[in-house]
Amino acid sequence: MKKRAWLSRAAAGGVTLALGLSLAACGGSSSGSGGSGTFKVLVYGDASNKVEKQIVDTFNKTSKVKAVLQTIPGADYQQKLQTIINTKQAPDVFFNWGGGSIAPFVKAGLLMPLDDFIAKDPNLKSKFLPSVFNSAVVDGKSYGIPMRGTQPVLLFDNQKVLSDAGLTAPKTWDDLLNAVKVLKAKHITPIALGGGDQWPTLMWYEYMYDRIAGPGLFEKAMGGDKSAWDSDDSRKALSQLKQLVDAGAFGSNFDSVKYTDGGSVALVAQGKAGFELMGSWYYSQQQQDNPDFAKSGLGYSSFPTVSGGKGDPNDVVGNTNNFYSVLKKTKYPDAVAQFLKLQYSDEFVKAQMAIGNLPTTTNTQNFLDTSASPDYSKFQFNLVKSAPSFQLSWDQAYPQTASEAMHTAVQEFFDGKIDADGFIKAMQALPTS
Amino acid sequence: MTTFADTRVERRRRPARRTGATVARPGFVWAAPATLFFLLFAVLPLVLVAVLSFTDWDGLGAPQYAGLDNWKALIHDHTMIQSLWLSVLITVLGVAVQTPLSILLGVWAAGHQRNRAILSAVYFVPLLLSATAVSILWRALLDPNFGVPSQARWLFGDGNLFGKQASAIGVLVFVGAWQYTPFHTLIYQGAARAIPQVLYQAAQIDGASTVRQFWHITLPQLRNTMITSMILMVVGGLTTFDTVLILTQGGPGTDTTISAYYMYEQAFKSFDFGGGSAIALVLVLVATVISLIVVKVSGYDKMRSSSEGL
Amino acid sequence: MKRRPNYLAGLGSLVWLFLIGLPLYVMLAATLQDRSDYAANGPLAFPKHITLHNYTQDFSNGFGHFFLNTVLVTAAVVAIVLLVIPPLSYAIVRSRGPITTGVFRLFLLGLAIPAQAVIVPMFYVISKAGLYDNLIGVILPTAAFSLPVCALVLTGVMRDITSDLYEAMAMDGASPSRVFFQLVLPLSKGGLSTIVVFSALQAWNGFLFPLVLTQSDSSKVITLGLFNFQTEHGIDIPGLLAAVVLSMLPIFIVYLFARRALVQGLMGVGGK
Repeated sequence: MKKRAWLSRAAAGGVTLALGLSLAACGGSSSGSGGSGTFKVLVYGDASNKVEKQIVDTFNKTSKVKAVLQTIPGADYQQKLQTIINTKQAPDVFFNWGGGSIAPFVKAGLLMPLDDFIAKDPNLKSKFLPSVFNSAVVDGKSYGIPMRGTQPVLLFDNQKVLSDAGLTAPKTWDDLLNAVKVLKAKHITPIALGGGDQWPTLMWYEYMYDRIAGPGLFEKAMGGDKSAWDSDDSRKALSQLKQLVDAGAFGSNFDSVKYTDGGSVALVAQGKAGFELMGSWYYSQQQQDNPDFAKSGLGYSSFPTVSGGKGDPNDVVGNTNNFYSVLKKTKYPDAVAQFLKLQYSDEFVKAQMAIGNLPTTTNTQNFLDTSASPDYSKFQFNLVKSAPSFQLSWDQAYPQTASEAMHTAVQEFFDGKIDADGFIKAMQALPTS
Repeated sequence: MTTFADTRVERRRRPARRTGATVARPGFVWAAPATLFFLLFAVLPLVLVAVLSFTDWDGLGAPQYAGLDNWKALIHDHTMIQSLWLSVLITVLGVAVQTPLSILLGVWAAGHQRNRAILSAVYFVPLLLSATAVSILWRALLDPNFGVPSQARWLFGDGNLFGKQASAIGVLVFVGAWQYTPFHTLIYQGAARAIPQVLYQAAQIDGASTVRQFWHITLPQLRNTMITSMILMVVGGLTTFDTVLILTQGGPGTDTTISAYYMYEQAFKSFDFGGGSAIALVLVLVATVISLIVVKVSGYDKMRSSSEGL
Repeated sequence: MKRRPNYLAGLGSLVWLFLIGLPLYVMLAATLQDRSDYAANGPLAFPKHITLHNYTQDFSNGFGHFFLNTVLVTAAVVAIVLLVIPPLSYAIVRSRGPITTGVFRLFLLGLAIPAQAVIVPMFYVISKAGLYDNLIGVILPTAAFSLPVCALVLTGVMRDITSDLYEAMAMDGASPSRVFFQLVLPLSKGGLSTIVVFSALQAWNGFLFPLVLTQSDSSKVITLGLFNFQTEHGIDIPGLLAAVVLSMLPIFIVYLFARRALVQGLMGVGGK
């Protein structure tokens, strides 16, 4: 009796196993290698995905070869991409930041130059702003078609907090220091900072270095001249940052706060902090998390000018744009080319505008009024248009292998764990290629 | 674990052979599936780790032989050295916190009163949560502005728990204890129930106090369980990963970058799979050595005789 | 038997109850209110307007599918363990020879191999085998890494079967497989339930292998779903914690109905 019970249970186990494996196999193959008549589009998972979904749906309505959209949540995107790009599971088309983010893939011979596509449809190039298009050109060949939009970093604020304290958006560095003092006296954290994520902290360095030294210093350092980090301008930028941190601008617990879990976003929305320095996607983030605040309480301005600095006050930093790149081994190059054409369509531009993104197509200007917040879109558009320099985020410009060490140094200098010498040494130790 | 070192069975088995009754014994075939499976998916990867640690591989092309480069770099890598110390520190703190706690709770819960049964039912709930879930729960609870610290300033100050090394390590050790103490409590509870009541009755006749009974009967009887539990804690502590990834991401700076996380970071964030493999190998060596030390120091060999006496 | 109640231990256990209970309370309370209430009232307040919206929303975010994947992985891992471990332990206990001794040592050493250490080559092997982003690629290593503990536990239990019983069966001229099915398995029930519980928990709560070896939604398991939910919607603490509650729900139900079996099973990990 007992024996039979055990045997039947063992048999049941075997069936479960077989079932499990076959089901798993099904699951695997349906999502697997391109399949029959589909190609995979892989994008960074965040609030912007609804536009990508819409465009894929539009494409699939008319195309025999179907596009399948896949997303990887933001924090993991780059690392997951690199782990799969040379496997069977690699996508056909994928989201990237151009420049340094695709250079290793180009070097490994994985990407398809898009010049043939462009020869057949010159619009794939001419419909985009040249400065943006060129940042995905590697060794004279085009590897990316712009998608989403440009993402300059702006200084956001809670308008009510500022007006209650009798302040306005700071025009100069001294204005900002003054605002810090006033807000601190009112027991409000002057500037929200998601220090736990590290990259939000980096944005302060990017702007400070640009304002004080101009874009040349970073270019020089990237070019391999590491003495740039030890220059007077570099030290001056660091001491000004240090001054800001020591003035209590970010409060004392910024390393326990994150942007990615919405902590710093909520601080500003709830009036517990006055400012936050963040990419232009901040608007759609607030729109998603705190719609009322996004509509009526969220202010924004460009980064303040710094007196005596060599950088042009109109310079911006941030993510120049996002791009779609294509893998060489895709089975459906023609369908992919058709898909890429949608990235300059009116539908695409309108949909991006509606969620607060700013596409960099030549027809963008025609649709500024249709945006979720026309003022915000126009502000961004003019900012980017008139900027003499648009510095790509340092962690995107450097090779991926450098970003952990860079982030650590950035955080430790704000913490006071390392001094200016320590920071300079850490930056000099980064690989530049 | 006490049982596989048991020699009683062995002793009784021998006469059977001498009397000549042929007991059919299973061949190696019976062990083959498990062994092959384990060799393929655990031992082979381990060998490959060793091989990869001598290569340069970014995950894109094929691994290139790089000689001792990764190992040379490792020796001079202060983050690596520091990560080993941090791993050991977190492990030692974990054992130091969890062992007394789970022994006391386990012995207490081994009693048969009804209220204990109800309380223990609640104790074991963390056991049902994955390390991922536990870490996410505590990250939300400990948020400086929107979690418990914001409502208990007298205890948490500015709530900068993740911004300082000591408090960040404290959080990791605490969350680890929160999650794993129930499991070890359970092990001790089972072991404490198995202690023959005769021993206590004899002690009571001698007039020994409860505390004395605890020291002289309960603890010695729990010895083998302690070894099992501590080995599990050591291996678990050295490989703490989910909690670090979700709670601190190795920060602030590299202040909580323990070896297991550093390896992941090198391999899957900086795409230095060769360097990551070298760290992994060091981690295996350290785990093996520490486990062996625990076994030796705790008198694993003497374990046979102690179980003999029962 | 007369024993003084131990007040000190009782007090200590109440403190611990508080440390365990408070977070669980905060978690449940948070999931039953909407985001704005939670933000306004703080984590310690009792929910004023109870809503199940957080739970339904999680299901619409694909949690149902992640559940199914996790169930598949768990069932398959338990099945593998049940298929290979009992014969292994039987061989270790009963067969004579250097090979099985060596095998036993191998599994002993296996205890000290952390899963993290092999994740890089595992990724290499799995992706070369075309199993990347496939549940099979998660099942195989997960099962492999729960083998050492399971082998030790079950071997310990089987050692307790006395030789008299084997001899009795030998008199009947029983083959090794008959001995296995008629004597060894029925007498190892406790150990078998331990390895089922242990490997099931390992598989259900596994994180590292799915993290590195899968990618798309179609092969996502619950722990990874939780992790992604945190990186995408971290701000939505009630929704996030509702997902945490959902992730433990099936095990909690098992716990409610089979607490004894579960607890006994886990106790077994520590030996007798």
